[in-house]
Amino acid sequence: MIKGADIVLQCLRAEGVDLVFGYPGGAIMPLYDALDGSGVRHILTRHEQGAVFAAEGYARVTGKVGVAMATSGPGATNLVTGIADAKMDSVPLVCITGQVRSALIGTDAFQETDVFGVTLSLTKWSRLVRTLDEIPEAIAEGFYWARSGRPGPVVIDIPTDMLKAKKEFSGPVKFTPKARPSDAKAEAGFTDKIVALLQKSSKPVALVGAGAKISGAISELRGLLGQLNIPTFATVHGLGAVEPESSYYLGMVGMHGTRAANTALNETDLLLIFGARLDDRVTGEPTRFAPHAKIVHFEIDPAQLDRVRPGEISVVGDLADTIPAFASELRRHTLPDFKDWRAVACGAERAELDPRGLAQPTIRFLDELFSRLPQDSVIIADVGQHQMWAAQRYCSSSPRGFITSGGLGAMGFALPAAVGVQLAKPDTCVLCVSGDGGFQMNIQELATVHRLGLPVKMVIVDNKYLGMVRQWQQLFYERNYAETDLSDNPDFVEIAKAYKIPSFRMKEDVMREFPVAQETGDQIDRFLRSPDPELLVFDCAPEANVYPMVPAGAALSEMLLEEEPTQ
Amino acid sequence: MQTFHIRYRNTQGTLMRILNAASRRGLDIPAVKAEPAERDHQVTLSLEVNQKQVGQLHREWYSIMDVTHVGPGAEQAAEWSAPHPPAGVSLGESRAAAGA
Repeated sequence: MIKGADIVLQCLRAEGVDLVFGYPGGAIMPLYDALDGSGVRHILTRHEQGAVFAAEGYARVTGKVGVAMATSGPGATNLVTGIADAKMDSVPLVCITGQVRSALIGTDAFQETDVFGVTLSLTKWSRLVRTLDEIPEAIAEGFYWARSGRPGPVVIDIPTDMLKAKKEFSGPVKFTPKARPSDAKAEAGFTDKIVALLQKSSKPVALVGAGAKISGAISELRGLLGQLNIPTFATVHGLGAVEPESSYYLGMVGMHGTRAANTALNETDLLLIFGARLDDRVTGEPTRFAPHAKIVHFEIDPAQLDRVRPGEISVVGDLADTIPAFASELRRHTLPDFKDWRAVACGAERAELDPRGLAQPTIRFLDELFSRLPQDSVIIADVGQHQMWAAQRYCSSSPRGFITSGGLGAMGFALPAAVGVQLAKPDTCVLCVSGDGGFQMNIQELATVHRLGLPVKMVIVDNKYLGMVRQWQQLFYERNYAETDLSDNPDFVEIAKAYKIPSFRMKEDVMREFPVAQETGDQIDRFLRSPDPELLVFDCAPEANVYPMVPAGAALSEMLLEEEPTQ
Repeated sequence: MQTFHIRYRNTQGTLMRILNAASRRGLDIPAVKAEPAERDHQVTLSLEVNQKQVGQLHREWYSIMDVTHVGPGAEQAAEWSAPHPPAGVSLGESRAAAGA
């Protein structure tokens, strides 16, 4: 006879889990009591949101399921933002929450919340365990759904009495799903139809999203793109999937995408989409998205097809299957050479106005940081202006090398996510880039970084504003900077020191030179190669803006490329 | 008003997820009937929806793990022949609906 808590941990081990992130509390205490000797390492964060973002970071960089644990009531509700984030960005995540004992459920007991109900619309699947016998099946099924198809979050809510009760346990079980109508396969002959469209096209383009990374089909995708040799761009989650030095690669597309990518998307007559769900930050005004294009959509999740507008051909299935099938068939055909179109779309006339970022010291700063990173480093960006600058300047071909909260846009993501990434990749340089607003949303995780001695390199781009909101206020609300002024920020250098983390400040003036002074370069090199955690606070001009920018409700062709003259 | 018939395995939360797909869009749900149907369950919903919402709901319902079939009421059956509605919707209609 063993306790329910031991059954949970044995089932987690059976799913390959050796690391979980969490925060203890009343209802989940039996599970914590059973951790010792279970083979599951627990990482104590300083807030449940830190735990769930750390689990996400771990999942995003490894492709494995991240696991977060919290107690009932406020512990569980503190997980909610991370669960929503995992849903939006297709992150495999299992959250295990303690619940009040069965007899008290529904009585508004101390620390009782209906976490099953609260998370119903945010999860891919969830279960409130009602009997001890359900635990193995619930965990097996939860992990199956978290990692299958389009990955996503799962919640398993376990009353505390189930964790304490004992039963005979014959071992973890396997979950076998019943057939579902959406388990559709790509229709036969789709390649011929796509080839026919390519042969009629004069301006084809390819758009790459996160699906290629999630499916693990990066080399297959790169091979296919080489065959196609058409202008190609990526969503923020597709960054790194395409080798940035490819002659046909135009960078990021969307609200803060490159001129070249957005212009090509506006002009194309055939859009091939590989694993992207086309949210409004990618499409601009949906009714004016790729207005001349026929759409071919490779996608594992049928729910994402035809969302913006009907596609010409939908290729449903895992990109790990459909891309090789397409590439193989494509070799039998002769495609037109889109040389003239490539010359226009990839030409120098559409390059960025300020490719070295000389007018914008923060861009120079990020370029210096990124260019000095060891190979295969991982950058975790928070949410805001620095996120978009970082995405614009990301130039690595490491598919899981750029991690950010893209769909939900959850400020406070980066620092705890960096904890999860560093634990998953202990020998990798992990660079966490935050703004001064977002860093303070989970600043308590400095304690986790210190406790674990994680060599995370943390950067705060400190403009003393909620910068992206301020930018919108400047451009669209007549400079009414309502409640975005953070000029009374604390001294982040001193705060880091209080957490026993070395830190220093860098003024943006040192980035006005090109190339930067030797001393500055050396300082950055030392920072990136230090074996210890360290914080660099970069003082950014308060009113620096991110360009290009597509205003909300505008088409991608209506980019703002530079500052409007001010009065 | 359109009628939808959704077959599902009656597992925890599945009916709520089906209803939530409508309620999260601010749609009134004037009529709901859920009942056993052969080996599964079926819920019948009446909703005031535009064509764009029909497509959204169809896709969202199908993405729920234990939903096994989504179908229209008899009066809309002819409009549901496409494999992934609203693939059958013309570009013009889609644009008009998106602006609705």
